[in-house]
Amino acid sequence: MSRPPARIRSALGAAAMALAAALLVAMGTAGCAGGDIGANTPGSSGQSFVSHSYESTFYRVGDRPLAPVVAGSTISGQKISLASYRGDTIVLNFWGSWCAPCRAEAPALGQLARNLAAKGVKFIGVDIRDQPDSARAFMQTFNVGYPSLNDPGDEIALEFHSTVPPAAIPTTLIIDRSGRIAARIFGASSYAQLQALISKVIGQPA
Amino acid sequence: MTAAEEDSTASPAAAAAGLSRATRFGAVGWLRWAWRQLTSMRTALILLFLLALASVPGSVLPQEGIDPAAVTQYYQSHPALAPVLNRLSLFSVFAAPWFAAIYILLFASLAGCVLPRTIRLVGSARQRPPRAPSNLARLPATASYTTDLTPGTALQSAAQLLGQRRFRLHTGDGWVSAEKGYLREVGNLLFHLALLALLFSVALGGIFGYKANRLLIVGQGFANTPTDLDVFRPGRLVGPGSLQPFSINLQNFHAQYVASGPEIDQPLSYNAGLNYQTRPGAPVRHYTLRVNHPLVVDGASVYLIGHGYAPVVKVTDGTGTVRWDGPVPFIPVDQSTMTSEGVIKVPDAKPAQLGFAGVFLPSAVNAGGTLESAFPSALNPRLSLIGFSGNLGMNSGQAQSVYQLDTQGLHQLRMVASPLAAGQSMTLPNGLGTVTYLGYQQWISLAITYDPGQLPALVSGFAALAGLILSFLVRRRRVFVRAAAAADGRTEVTLGGLARSDAAGGFEGEFTELAQMLRAQQAGTFGAGPKASQDPPGDAVEAETARAGADRHEVALTGPDGE
Repeated sequence: MSRPPARIRSALGAAAMALAAALLVAMGTAGCAGGDIGANTPGSSGQSFVSHSYESTFYRVGDRPLAPVVAGSTISGQKISLASYRGDTIVLNFWGSWCAPCRAEAPALGQLARNLAAKGVKFIGVDIRDQPDSARAFMQTFNVGYPSLNDPGDEIALEFHSTVPPAAIPTTLIIDRSGRIAARIFGASSYAQLQALISKVIGQPA
Repeated sequence: MTAAEEDSTASPAAAAAGLSRATRFGAVGWLRWAWRQLTSMRTALILLFLLALASVPGSVLPQEGIDPAAVTQYYQSHPALAPVLNRLSLFSVFAAPWFAAIYILLFASLAGCVLPRTIRLVGSARQRPPRAPSNLARLPATASYTTDLTPGTALQSAAQLLGQRRFRLHTGDGWVSAEKGYLREVGNLLFHLALLALLFSVALGGIFGYKANRLLIVGQGFANTPTDLDVFRPGRLVGPGSLQPFSINLQNFHAQYVASGPEIDQPLSYNAGLNYQTRPGAPVRHYTLRVNHPLVVDGASVYLIGHGYAPVVKVTDGTGTVRWDGPVPFIPVDQSTMTSEGVIKVPDAKPAQLGFAGVFLPSAVNAGGTLESAFPSALNPRLSLIGFSGNLGMNSGQAQSVYQLDTQGLHQLRMVASPLAAGQSMTLPNGLGTVTYLGYQQWISLAITYDPGQLPALVSGFAALAGLILSFLVRRRRVFVRAAAAADGRTEVTLGGLARSDAAGGFEGEFTELAQMLRAQQAGTFGAGPKASQDPPGDAVEAETARAGADRHEVALTGPDGE
């Protein structure tokens, strides 16, 4: 914006002044903290993003936080709840059709979902900041067979706030048979990476 | 802290002394010398100046943290320069390593300067008045008189009077020392401690605070969680779970502009109607967000910092399936007319991926054959699009900006780019599909800031100011009294006084008043005789004395300038 409107400019000016007046600008330290996690989302300029590389965390039995029992409508309009999946291992994948890393990992996820269905591993997607047409198009392109909750306002991600909140898109959570979060992955995962983590959670080769 | 109070260690002589010490003590000496240099007032001032200087590009160039869209625009208008500036962190000045280096050094410098000084000040504030000098006549303010009291009684009554006037006392053999104005040291102490508190408050904000940006289209909502923020800059100890779990839904947005006169196109007001929940399941509340009137949720402030248009577009691919149907945020390139640019990516179109680069004109007018926008409101909105097909480069997983088309794998479609009015469609060549412009939505951009150090910083700022004022207004002053038997058997009482840093003046008057009261009191103890009126008054003081009936005492008063 080459010429911000006067009022907005004054707001920016006031903000800048306040920062300068505070002597040591707090965002400085914040900047040292590393990756701009949400920078590949719509609305970001994408100029300074650190593309989020793969990062996985495994939680040992006993350290696993209880997953919230989220529910909602899928992209195809069907109602589903995590409650009806109790007893299964759930792979919960937060994605968006606009998100390039999500597109990159989609074929692997679709393949794994088909291969592991017999072992009681169920895949559910959570489609973030998307609109139904493009989401359906994505699922068709990548032949995604599992359902995805429609979450344009990111309210499902918010329900994980006090447990293991997703911090990047894509984020994949593996929820064990007792409904506890056993693993978390930030960033696009490959078939082998995800397969290895699932094997660890279900305690047998996946 | 004033420069005058500064340690002399920063002087060249002291530095040289430090150097010579360094040659003697080796590494330790060098470290000590470096520490003294770092904590010197001069270094602190240089660093403070550097900090101010370093913030200049932050206000000249668009900043990623404040307005990422402006940075995108800068990239477009300066394709060669922008990457260089980005490498120098000039689009995120306040997060740049060199900026951090300056303020960390400044922090160390100030802390290293203020802490030892604070310890000294505590000592100074608790100090007893020093012994009375032997020759009080050499002090700036002096007075003397004789009395029939014994030296001990005279001193005792002097101490009593000074004590009543809240002087801190120190008595010895034949003398009384009194000092007042310790509040000056308290003020000084308060200033220094508040300065330290200010530094820590700011650090607190940097560790536990965060900043985020979010673009929000009317009719849509978002949750304050890292996946749903466009830009998220957490403090060192901020995790995804530390964010206040509120969610905001944008109901409507109204921008008003001046429609005529010299101020035409200037904004009058922006109002964004929000529905928000402080946490999932909490009651939905309404707030009208305006510029500089943030919504505050659990300590996090949500500011309205920008707005724009999002054309609503429907893209049907070659198979006849709708692949995109919704608003696409466009970035204003000219705030006075709100001419906006944006891209539409349809990665799942068949048979080929589609991309569009568009220009949105809210108030299109024909200006000599070309359409341009004449006013920021959407009076006659038009959308013109250039189509591309091929590979958008999204499936490789490399994150890309939603505002830019990577045209490397794309080729431009041969078609007439005529501006579309709401409801109009454009058919793409080679059976690739159609694109329809349905209308527009508005969007706002929000800045979310959480700074737990803000209130402590404000409080310590005020405390520092109060301390500074106190230390400027209160004088520290000393009064000494000596009493000794004179040759004629009477007692000679000598008073001496001095004020430290008496810039405002006024000590002279206080001292004279004290001397007169003391003399009157001690004379009065003996009872004034009728002889009082026989001695003619010599000067103002004598006159005052005569009125008090203390004629038997000879008084010589000299003001602070008397010598």
